Amino acid sequence: MASRDVVHYNTPLQRVLSVLSVVFVIFYLIWTLLPFVIMFVSSFKDLLEAFKLPAVGDWAGVGVFFEFTPTLKHYQTLFSENNFSRYMLNSLIAAGGSAVISVIFGSLAAYSLSRVDFRGKSDLFFWIISTRMAPVVAVMVPLFAIFRSLDLVGTLPGLILAYTTFNLPFAIWILKGFFDNVPYGIEEAQMVDGATRFQAFRSILPLVAPGIGAFIVLCILFAWNDFLFAAIIGSGGAKTLPVATRELVQPQNIQWGAIMAAGVVTTAPMMLLGLVIRKYLVTGLTMGAVKE
Amino acid sequence: MATVTIRNVWKYYGQTPAVKDLNVTCPDGSFVSILGPSGCGKSSTMRMIAGLEHISAGDILFDSQRINDLAPKDRDVAMVFENYALYPHKTVFENIANPLRLRGTSDATIKERVTGAARLLEIAHLLERRPHELSGGQKQRVAIGRAIVREPKLFLFDEPIAHLDAKLRAHMRGEIKHLQRNLGTTMIYVTHDQLEALSMADFIAVMHDGELQQWGTPSEIFNKPVNAWVAGFVGEPAMNFLTCDLKRRGDDVVLSHRNFDIPLLPGQVRQLNGAAQAGVARMGVRPDAMTVSMTRPSEAAIEGEIFVNELLGGDMLVEVQLADSRIRVKTTPEFEGKPGETCYLTVNRDKWHVFDAGDGHAYF
Repeated sequence: MASRDVVHYNTPLQRVLSVLSVVFVIFYLIWTLLPFVIMFVSSFKDLLEAFKLPAVGDWAGVGVFFEFTPTLKHYQTLFSENNFSRYMLNSLIAAGGSAVISVIFGSLAAYSLSRVDFRGKSDLFFWIISTRMAPVVAVMVPLFAIFRSLDLVGTLPGLILAYTTFNLPFAIWILKGFFDNVPYGIEEAQMVDGATRFQAFRSILPLVAPGIGAFIVLCILFAWNDFLFAAIIGSGGAKTLPVATRELVQPQNIQWGAIMAAGVVTTAPMMLLGLVIRKYLVTGLTMGAVKE
Repeated sequence: MATVTIRNVWKYYGQTPAVKDLNVTCPDGSFVSILGPSGCGKSSTMRMIAGLEHISAGDILFDSQRINDLAPKDRDVAMVFENYALYPHKTVFENIANPLRLRGTSDATIKERVTGAARLLEIAHLLERRPHELSGGQKQRVAIGRAIVREPKLFLFDEPIAHLDAKLRAHMRGEIKHLQRNLGTTMIYVTHDQLEALSMADFIAVMHDGELQQWGTPSEIFNKPVNAWVAGFVGEPAMNFLTCDLKRRGDDVVLSHRNFDIPLLPGQVRQLNGAAQAGVARMGVRPDAMTVSMTRPSEAAIEGEIFVNELLGGDMLVEVQLADSRIRVKTTPEFEGKPGETCYLTVNRDKWHVFDAGDGHAYF
């Protein structure tokens, strides 16, 4: 087998490019990580300390950022006064619920689209993915009208349904690729061995597990970070973390400390999730597309 | 254990017929091979028997039960696939145990049956491995293990050893034949390799273009092919064909070619129908039904020029150039002719065949 290493030759251009790429990566890291660092540090600062800034150009004064006495009072405010544990639970239920429902129906639909030939299949497939083509804002008003007439506005089931509307096509699209890569012979062998069609379907689920894992993460990320649906469909009874955070901005009083803490509370679970399943996510996202 | 009857079966893919009016009866306990080139409909036939494809028309019966409308799981057949189709996420043990698990067999019985099958196939030491850790031959044994573990009515083997290397293939031919004899279960074995069919099967069904060409024992297929296509497909090296004229000469009928005029044996003349006793025909003769020599053995010998010699270990294959075609003859490695030299061929007239020049059916 041929080596899969890319061969490098040390030309002057290569050297310049390698230095440039390091510089680029450093700037990119600062650009992406700094907001999180500021958010994280500020959430432990008293309001007065949070707004202490060095003068422009005073690089020696950067240390000011780190001169503070850590306090947990913002977190206490969030959970005791602002009922954030409730909102966190709402976020979890909405994101998890829609992920589970999308994965169940998505894998069934993707399996059918992958295995069964019927008239109009390609049109159906295109229609499914085309539901994702309109921006959410464009369909928000009719969706709201529909949800209101069904009494779903401001309820968790309503919010789950709204997320599922957008996650399900995505699930079908991703998972179909994974099912396409599972040889049909495995199910045929199962059926000859004595399995029903459904048992055969279940037996290949472990083979598409990376796809299902990747999809669940993307689906949870979408629902967890969503603001628009949560603000409009979920407003009132099904308030999620992003909406609750937004409400910390009041006309006469912007609670910066609490907002920073809310940011940490919202971000941390997703970061943890990402770390735990990082390996899964990467193999999952490439396996569907690249044939071994 | 079952007699499999295939009655007037057709298979259409869209408008294209893949199997045309197939009629075959596989006797209980026999080893039947369906032989044919790729695209001849043999795999479609097997998949219809397994229930993986719908039967477009006709019936398939196990004993007297019509199984057209039964799901694969209710047909009680076991199949070995060309690509093995093992379950990649399960161990060898679980792969073999799968059919039993699906039937709700108790754990103790499963353990006993799986280890028994594994011992029979000499893969007992591999039971904890996963398919990707196995070699091709081992995977194939696991696939067979999965088939034999539950004593089905019928075995279906779809080119199971096509992907093994030549040496292992020869070994597995013997093993599979031995296994079938021991279990006594009816087996249908699909292959494109005529050697596999000839060496293993009790009966061979030769298929071409979706049609059954000939049904018979290996020796019938080899020695009495019903048409030129079967004669050319079965046998390695392949049969030689020469287009000749049939001419009446007194009481004899002579097979006439630019290089020779050889009379048919009296019995063979009777097998020609009247119309065919004069006209064009195709003569077929296997490479081992002729002898080649450097001196003219008799007046009837065919004169030609050696084109090339191929040494095949224990045999020598000599390709001889006639006026308009080439003929291959099997001889011993001691043969001393060199390419370009004149040689003489003698045909064993008991073993030659004459086919109709039009539809190719055999006169004898």
